[in-house]
Amino acid sequence: MSNWIRSRRRDAHSSDNENRSEGPSRWSHCRKRGIDGSLRSSRDGGDGVNNGSTDSRDRHSDSRHASFTTPESRGPVSRCDRQGDWGSQVEDAEMRRDVHRDMQRYRRRILGAEVTQRERKISSGSSESCDSREGENMETDEAVLLRRQKQINYGKNTLAYDRYTKEVPKHMRQPGVHPKTPNKFRKYSRRSWDQQIKLWKVKLHAWDPPAEEGQDKVLDNIDELGLDDVMDIELDFPTLSDSQNATVSLTARNISLEGQGEDCSGTPVKVQKTEPSAEPDMA
Amino acid sequence: MENSNEDYKIQSFDQDTQMLLKTALKDPSSVNLDKVSNIIVDQSLKDQVFSKEAGRICYTIVQAEAKQNNGNVFRRNLLNRLQQEFKDREETRGRSLQEWVCFVTFICNIYDYLKVNNMPMAALVHPVYDCLMRLSQPDALMNEEEVDCLVLQLHRIGEQLEKVNSQRMDELFFLLRDGFLLQEGLSSMARLLLLEILEFRAGGWVLSSTAHKYYYSEIAD
Repeated sequence: MSNWIRSRRRDAHSSDNENRSEGPSRWSHCRKRGIDGSLRSSRDGGDGVNNGSTDSRDRHSDSRHASFTTPESRGPVSRCDRQGDWGSQVEDAEMRRDVHRDMQRYRRRILGAEVTQRERKISSGSSESCDSREGENMETDEAVLLRRQKQINYGKNTLAYDRYTKEVPKHMRQPGVHPKTPNKFRKYSRRSWDQQIKLWKVKLHAWDPPAEEGQDKVLDNIDELGLDDVMDIELDFPTLSDSQNATVSLTARNISLEGQGEDCSGTPVKVQKTEPSAEPDMA
Repeated sequence: MENSNEDYKIQSFDQDTQMLLKTALKDPSSVNLDKVSNIIVDQSLKDQVFSKEAGRICYTIVQAEAKQNNGNVFRRNLLNRLQQEFKDREETRGRSLQEWVCFVTFICNIYDYLKVNNMPMAALVHPVYDCLMRLSQPDALMNEEEVDCLVLQLHRIGEQLEKVNSQRMDELFFLLRDGFLLQEGLSSMARLLLLEILEFRAGGWVLSSTAHKYYYSEIAD
C-alpha cells in the first residue's frame, strides 16, 4: 500500500547515514567503542546516532585537532539532549539497577567481613576493626555512585583495559604496581575521587595497544614537548575521543576542567555490566 | 537453520537481507546493526504479520549482542528509530492507517519482548499508552482496523501495562466504556470487540469460560 513511501523514506534515511559518516578522531584508536557503543574495529566509520551535527568542523586547516582550538560557538549541549532519547533512557535505567545491585553485594561483603572479624576478635582479642567502619562510611548517594560508575565504565571501555585484564590475572596483581579500579562505595571528596580515576587511567594507558604507524603524530609531538601529564588529563576527557560525535562546547569544558566535564556528558555510551567478580574486589 | 528462519518470519525478505539478519542473530558485531534495526522497523511498518512477531527477532539480536561484547548498539538504534516514528505518528496515521496500525503493533511487541532485567522498559510505558489512547479516540473507534489493533494489544500486554501504571489504564478504559456506550455510528463488530475487552479486563485479564464461549463459539446456544 504505502510501499513507495516507505522505500522513499528508507532512501532518505540511508543518505542520512552517508552524510553522517566521519573519521575516527585521533584519540579514538584506543577506544573500544564509539559514542553509540559500536565497536570501532568493525565499523571504524562510526556512523553513530548523533544529532546530525559534526563533520568538517573537527578538522582544522592547520591540521590541529578541533579540541585544541576554541570552536566557533555552536552552543553547548547536544550531549545532554541524548538523555532524552529512548536508547539512553533505557541504558540509564539499566546502569542505575546495576549500581544498586553492586551496592547490595558490597553490603553483603562488608557484613561477611564483620562476621569473620568478630570471630577473630573472640579468639585472639585483637582490636583491628577497620572493616566495621566501612559500612558507616559507605557512599550511598545514587547521583554520586552513578557519576562514578560512568567514569569507571569509561575507563573500562578501552582496549587497554581489555588487554590488562587478559594479561594480568587477578591474583597476579600487586597493589601499587598494577592499576586498581577505585572503590566507588568509599566516601571520598570529589577532588580525591577524580584524582584516583585519573591515576587509574594513567596506569591503564600502559596497556594501550601499540600505536599504528603514523597514527599518533600529534601524541608523539606532545611527548617530545614533555607534556605527557597534560595529555593524560586531556585523554581522560570522555568527550575528547568521541569529539566528532559530540558537539560539546569545548570552552565550557575547559572552564570546568576540575570536574572533568563528565557531569552532563553522559560519558560512556556503553552501559557496561560490571563484572560481578571484578567490581566489589577493591576494598 | 531453516527452523529459526521460520521462527523469525524473515522469509518475506530478499535473500541478501535474510543473510544479513541471520548473521546479525549469530554474530551481531560483524554487521551494521544500525542498518539491521532500520530494516526491521521498515518491514514492521509495512507488514502486519511481521510487526506482530518482530519483537522476538529483536530480542534475540539484543541478547546476542550483549553476550558477544556487552554491547547495546542494536537496542539503542532500534529504540531511537522507534522514538522517531512515535514522534511522527499522527502524520503516519493521516497518511496510511495500515502503517499506523503496524507501528502500534510493533511498538507493543517490542514492549512485550524487550525487557531489561526482566522489567519492562520504563521509557516505553507512556509512549505505548499514548498509542493506545490514540486508538481509543472517537475517530479511531470508527475504524474497525484500529479497534482490532487496540484490542489485540490489550489482550497481549494489557495486564503488564496495568501493573506498571494502573492510572493510565483506568483512563484508557474510561474512553473505551464511553466509546462502547455513547458513540454513535460504531459498527456492531467494533462494539463486540470493545465489549469483549471490557469483560476481559473486568475479569482480571482473563475471559471466563462462559464469556469465551459467547465470543468464540461458532454457534451460541
